[in-house]
Amino acid sequence: MDQFTQTAWLIPLFPFAAFLLLTALGRSYRRAGVLIGSIGSLAALVMSLLVFFERLDPDAVDYSDGFKWIDLGVYVLRIGFEVTNLNALMLVIVTAVSFLVNVYSAGYMKKDERITVFYGYVALFTFAMLGLVLSDNMLVFYIFWELVGVCSFLLVGFWYAKPAARAAAKKAFIVTRIGDAGLLLGVIVLFWYMPGHALDFSSIHNVFSEGQTGAITMSITTSIALLLFMGVIGKSGQFPLHVWLPDAMEGPTPISALIHAATMVAAGVFLLARTFDIFEASAAAMHTVAYLGGFTAIFAATVALAQNDIKRILAYSTISQLGYMVMAMGLGSMTGGIFHLFTHAFFKALLFLAAGSIIHAVHTQNIQEMGGLGSKMRITTWTFAIGALSLSGIPPFSGFWSKDLILAFALDENPFLFVIGLVAAFCTALYMSRLFFIVFMGKSRLQQQAQVRESSKVMTIPLIVLAVLSVGAGFVETPWNGWLGGWLTGGGEEVHASAAAIVASIAVGVLGIYVGWLMFGKGSIERGAAAARMPWLANLLERQYYMNEFYNLMIVKPVRGLGKGLYAFDEYVIGGAVRLIGFTSVAGGRVLTRMNNGQAQVYGLTAVIGLLVIIAAIVGRRFW
Amino acid sequence: MNEFIPLTWHDTLYLAPELILAAMFLILIVTDLFLPQRMSRAVIGWLSLGSLLLSLGFVIWRMIDMNPSGVSAEEAAKAGQAISLLGASYRVDDYGNLLKIIFLIGTSLIVLLGLGSTQKDEAVTDKAEFYYLLLPAAAGAMIMASSGNLVTLYIGLELLSITSYVLVGLRKRSSLSAEAAFKYVVTGGIASAFVLFGMSYLYGVTGSVSLGDFPAALPQAFADYKALVYVGFFFLIAGFGIKIAAAPFHSWAPDVYQGAPTPISAFLAVIAKGAALAAVFRFLYSSAFFLSGGSGKQAGDDVFFALLVIAAAAMLVGTVSALRQKQVKRLLALSGVANAGYLLVPIAISVTIIHSNNFSEFAFYLIAYLLMNVGAFAVVTVIARAAGHEELKGFSGLYYRAPWTAAAMLIFILSLSGLPVTAGFFGKLFILLGAASVQAYWLVAIMVVSTVISYYFYFGIIRQMFMRSNDEEEDAIHVPTVTGVVIWICAAATVALGVLPGPLMKGIDAVFSIQADLFVR
Repeated sequence: MDQFTQTAWLIPLFPFAAFLLLTALGRSYRRAGVLIGSIGSLAALVMSLLVFFERLDPDAVDYSDGFKWIDLGVYVLRIGFEVTNLNALMLVIVTAVSFLVNVYSAGYMKKDERITVFYGYVALFTFAMLGLVLSDNMLVFYIFWELVGVCSFLLVGFWYAKPAARAAAKKAFIVTRIGDAGLLLGVIVLFWYMPGHALDFSSIHNVFSEGQTGAITMSITTSIALLLFMGVIGKSGQFPLHVWLPDAMEGPTPISALIHAATMVAAGVFLLARTFDIFEASAAAMHTVAYLGGFTAIFAATVALAQNDIKRILAYSTISQLGYMVMAMGLGSMTGGIFHLFTHAFFKALLFLAAGSIIHAVHTQNIQEMGGLGSKMRITTWTFAIGALSLSGIPPFSGFWSKDLILAFALDENPFLFVIGLVAAFCTALYMSRLFFIVFMGKSRLQQQAQVRESSKVMTIPLIVLAVLSVGAGFVETPWNGWLGGWLTGGGEEVHASAAAIVASIAVGVLGIYVGWLMFGKGSIERGAAAARMPWLANLLERQYYMNEFYNLMIVKPVRGLGKGLYAFDEYVIGGAVRLIGFTSVAGGRVLTRMNNGQAQVYGLTAVIGLLVIIAAIVGRRFW
Repeated sequence: MNEFIPLTWHDTLYLAPELILAAMFLILIVTDLFLPQRMSRAVIGWLSLGSLLLSLGFVIWRMIDMNPSGVSAEEAAKAGQAISLLGASYRVDDYGNLLKIIFLIGTSLIVLLGLGSTQKDEAVTDKAEFYYLLLPAAAGAMIMASSGNLVTLYIGLELLSITSYVLVGLRKRSSLSAEAAFKYVVTGGIASAFVLFGMSYLYGVTGSVSLGDFPAALPQAFADYKALVYVGFFFLIAGFGIKIAAAPFHSWAPDVYQGAPTPISAFLAVIAKGAALAAVFRFLYSSAFFLSGGSGKQAGDDVFFALLVIAAAAMLVGTVSALRQKQVKRLLALSGVANAGYLLVPIAISVTIIHSNNFSEFAFYLIAYLLMNVGAFAVVTVIARAAGHEELKGFSGLYYRAPWTAAAMLIFILSLSGLPVTAGFFGKLFILLGAASVQAYWLVAIMVVSTVISYYFYFGIIRQMFMRSNDEEEDAIHVPTVTGVVIWICAAATVALGVLPGPLMKGIDAVFSIQADLFVR
């Protein structure tokens, strides 16, 4: 019955085998490298789908298995995997996007000298992400969590010849590190307070689920939840640690689609879902999550209004949509969060890959230098339009259903956040229509006109597949059909449907697009009108609220100064001590070597004197 | 007093592992005499290997017999009872059997290594001796692990020592080898004198040489003759200290290891050292350990404390002396001194209620040490043959000339320096945790410091291997098949234990019981 579920641990091993093979083969096997990477992810996708279909059975029970890795008496570290409905869904999302990105990269990265290295990194990332999804306890989860961070670092800095890419990779790593430190602390505190030091998710569920919070006090629960949430803030680009994500766009575009839109950045939301019981046990933590998510959603959406780099717009849009997911979690709607993660993975991957197709054709990322691409790149235009409509929340595209679910939930739970969500949705529709009209409509502002052509099939077919998914994925959960929620939570969550939310959500979406059309399509509202009237606001948005400058002034510079001070301390005090130790060791070695002079009688004498010294020291101390 | 019962035919079965080695030793001497002069002695090597493996099979069979699975606890305890022979002078128990397995596997690897290197060594004129003399040496080590009284212990020690004196001097055409053998005889003589002297004092005050009588007799003897008991213990420790090559009794080791044929250096570093450690372990836990309980608490504590001091001294002196060492075998000898210190720690921190798995810590690190050391010496045989000398710079550019061997050496060095994921890492970790659990923090500090210092010379070897040599483009190094087998057995096991230390640790704990197997009663 569940034979595929029991062998789910094989899924991450396919991309891992691909990674090993790619590394072993070296750079010369370019075509074979592409094939190996793609086959690895395809095998994982097929296995994941098989597991997923098994999980559709309403009687399917969660399955977990593993082995003891290190047993140090009280502390037992286990390695294991677990298959639940949530995991199975994530498996399909990760493998599907990964496979499509593999195919797409065959075209996008075709001319890159290090294409096999690229495929190797992608395979390693896929392995790590799948391991993260399948892990059955916090420790293994944390290991893979760091591993996906490393892969992200490698891939953001893939074009390491560019200084910006190097800086971005470093920034991505360091900023997420701050969140990870919190997460690690959270895991340690959890380990300390859990009965029997258990770290597996089912024990966490048992301890924290309703009515059993007695084992761990309220304040500890809140601090664990908030520490874990720090990891989410770092990985999922929530305010104030979101600054790395726009910079991470320096990586190749397929990577932005895979890692920085669909999978890794969603890992934070996934963590929230996996440890949802801890958060639910603490109202304070839930409020923090909800408000921070809501704030991130609206904050990032406004910044996206004033950006000119196509990938940065999409990056801020990702931050904003992740904010939506986090807000949904904080409001108590795990279904809403995961549902939005699910639809967002497809339409945002679609948007990124379509943007990559554009960049591939026009060799610029500045939307002001594009324009009029609609007639030249038909498939890219249509698929991008589908993605944009989905993101803007226009029915019947998938983004509408998931956003509507969150908004309906917010209307019931917290009207204030409902309003925030609506405003963010308006901004989303507005910046997407701005993007769309400037890039695809109007007159071309390109330097070289003739060369713009539609991308090759290997790139457009993944776009079409993702477009189909972006349209269809939303129907798993609609106001009249709560299938996904029932399946994910075992029927624990009631369906929130409200006509008011639907009407409001459609209204702001349409309004946003209409305003965008007036400003950027038809031109009846002067483009610069708003900016001219409030230059400070335009400036503020364009400079991303001066967050980077703020960090530079408040954190980076003082830390650098501190670093310089510490370096001096290191150089003169610690370094001096180390040199002293080194000097003494070497001098000691010299003395001991001299004692070892090859004379057997000296050896005998050393032994006898040694014995006498030991006797004198040990017996003698009794008489002092 | 245990009554002396002569051996029956049935009892010989219990002694089969040792008897096989003794019989094969005699048979091989005669075979060597009758084999034509020009015929290769490799056949004697393979026969020696065969007898070691046969003996190993008997030990394992005995161990399975004594640890039946799927029976009631009562029957298991009955089967697990130590078999006591010849008036309790010889014991067959899980302690001895586990160590015998380690010694026999180690000696087998040494024989294989000999087939790969000594077979082609022109300085060794009598190649057959190399192989068949390893058999009584291994038997001596096994007797030391199994002895039930001081006399048997001493016989085992001398059997092992005298054969190894000869083995060290086998490179008859090399003056270094002769010098090494001479020095080893002299220092070995001093060690034997110390051991005998100590034993005679203990016999004098207790009136018995049987380990089984010490628990009862020692407290009274201590009350009567404090000083004599101290002298007895300290001389014994010093005598074994020389055999173990722990500081300050280690001076002979670099000279002897350098002069001996390389496989014999490995034998001394692993099996001779392990056997002496095993003897100390058993001896102290049936004598000084029982002093700690009653009125002699002070003396018992002092003996264990002296061992701690020696362990600490060995770790520090071994690593510090190795810093300036440029000769590979001398370097490994000094690293062996430091490792003797680590191995003494689980013995010296004593068994307490909160910490009782000293033996599994000891055995795990001994196994890890065996693997990484034999492996490293095996690589040295390959390098020395290619370079014509045994200097550290022989390793330069190894990665470009024999990449797989360099990879294996990397594993051994990581293990020696105690880095994951290797057996050496967990071995050191377990010992460290053990020391920490009895709050011996100063010892933990010394272990950590000496480990850190050791990185310096271990990484020197790594740097050499991956540095391209300045000489003209050199050819690939040929690795003899048998040597390659030894290297990869050791490397694979080192990594395997580094990834999954649990099963072995569990296995040792399951088989070994302090009550039934360690204490001689």
